Amino acid sequence: MDVAEKAPAEATFEPLLQIEMEMGTFLSNWHHCDQLSTFMARIISHNRTDPVRHSNFFSSALNELLEVSFRGGSPDGQIGCAVYRHGRTERVKLTFPCLSRQRQFFSEAVSNTRREDALARYLDSISTGLTPSRDVVLLDLAINFDAQIRLENSAPQSITLVVDLPLEGIVS
Amino acid sequence: MSTAGRSIPFKAEFDVNSQEFSLSGVVRPRSIDEIAVNISMLKAAIDQVRGVLYINVKRLVQMNNTAFHAFARVVLDACQARPDIRFVIVTSSVVGWTTRMFGHLNQIEPQITIEVYDSKFYPGQSFVENTSFIPILRTQTKMTWRHERTILPRHGMRPGITMADICCGIGDFVVLVQKEFQPARIVALDHSKASLAYARDVAAGFGITDIEYTYGDASEMLLEGNQFDFVSCRHSLQIFNQPDALLAELYRICKPGGRVYVTNEKNSHCLGEPRSQSIQWTYNEVAKLFSHFEMDVELGPKSRRYLADAGFEDIVVESFMVTNLDGDAQDFADVIAAWEDVYAGEMSVKRGDSSEFIQRFRQGFQDHIFAALHPKGYAGWPIWVASGRKPR
Repeated sequence: MDVAEKAPAEATFEPLLQIEMEMGTFLSNWHHCDQLSTFMARIISHNRTDPVRHSNFFSSALNELLEVSFRGGSPDGQIGCAVYRHGRTERVKLTFPCLSRQRQFFSEAVSNTRREDALARYLDSISTGLTPSRDVVLLDLAINFDAQIRLENSAPQSITLVVDLPLEGIVS
Repeated sequence: MSTAGRSIPFKAEFDVNSQEFSLSGVVRPRSIDEIAVNISMLKAAIDQVRGVLYINVKRLVQMNNTAFHAFARVVLDACQARPDIRFVIVTSSVVGWTTRMFGHLNQIEPQITIEVYDSKFYPGQSFVENTSFIPILRTQTKMTWRHERTILPRHGMRPGITMADICCGIGDFVVLVQKEFQPARIVALDHSKASLAYARDVAAGFGITDIEYTYGDASEMLLEGNQFDFVSCRHSLQIFNQPDALLAELYRICKPGGRVYVTNEKNSHCLGEPRSQSIQWTYNEVAKLFSHFEMDVELGPKSRRYLADAGFEDIVVESFMVTNLDGDAQDFADVIAAWEDVYAGEMSVKRGDSSEFIQRFRQGFQDHIFAALHPKGYAGWPIWVASGRKPR
């Protein structure tokens, strides 16, 4: 499978919020994942039907993505996180620098989220693993948050994960 | 960024008497070493229990995959090592992802079951969250607002503040507050989805888009601490079987220097003339009836003590009487008729009262209506207002 896939024909997603940060700064403190996800979730959820619960759900998903970038990213360059909205779905575009072998890993991990045995793989990982792999984190998003995940073309030595989260439908 | 400091801190506790291991707050460790103590506590709890271990995650606000896998691993291993015990994981209907995430454990081990904590939130919940209550709540707010709009500024209400209305019901109070006082931000929380749906419709009808209505458990809220200048909780401590637990949450979300504002009744002090004796008898019985369902509708004058015990300072208490002379006497009569329907028609029946008792019980409400509509009559419904400041 190609590292990057073509986005399917789709409706326009409106931009809500975008942050950029030096990756070295981001990697300097693990708590940045929690702080950024909490902050961004609160901002983008304020006009959802149930802002508090939407924010809780969204923060949970975004934190996992940021933790993935924290564990798999390399310190040179910038991390960018943008949130868009269309209807009941938020789209997260997370771009961060990583080594080329990481790109291949993410390509496979994203592909696994769409396989028919995704749930079985997820359950197997809970049964057998002491700590979750980044592969499992993406499965978690697909299964517990109904996320649609794909990769987008990005600059060399970086990766862009595109994650659609239909949380308004789950929360309300 | 200052958000982390306001997060609900992570806590793991084990109560051997109830065989309950509880996780609460936000837990997002980088590695399992950071939660090793908590993992050990869970293992020790499993060693101590017989029959069933309850794992309470109702107040678990956030848990990352690292922590989830670590705790899940312990429980799944225990299912193999201890086939004699069952694990019941209690999640909350408010924090939706916990039910989804922990629910998978049952697919791996049938010894693990999931219970979603919701409908039996407090003993009187089914009565007060009944949608038949909605018209009466609206009329009640209309009657009490005539008094509260002048009372509220004495308790800290002013333009530009951030406020939360906890147990907001159908949300009409915050709509009135927004029009009158223009707070900068309003969050309104309730545990009735039907009431919240109604509240959103009403707000939309008025073109109001900036009230954040949220579904939640008032005693275990997702809201972060120390964030509101003014926290209101009206007519709710009295119908909650653990008012001190509710007040502790109100205290937690209030900013230091902010105020918590509560209103409550003393139902036995409802009065009317003529036919005062019949009215008095019925409202004394109302207090006993609510007590049977673990609700204290005599709480009003106790508000000062509750606020003091919860740690508030500068406590202000006052009372007002809603009467048939305030506005339309028919409104007053309609509220009493609705009380009769619920108290005599539902609660008294559920308690198993005799038809003779219910007939006499109903008569007091009808006499109260008679007094309200009588050209020379007087009917009253007293309410206690209290507020306290959270120390800086």
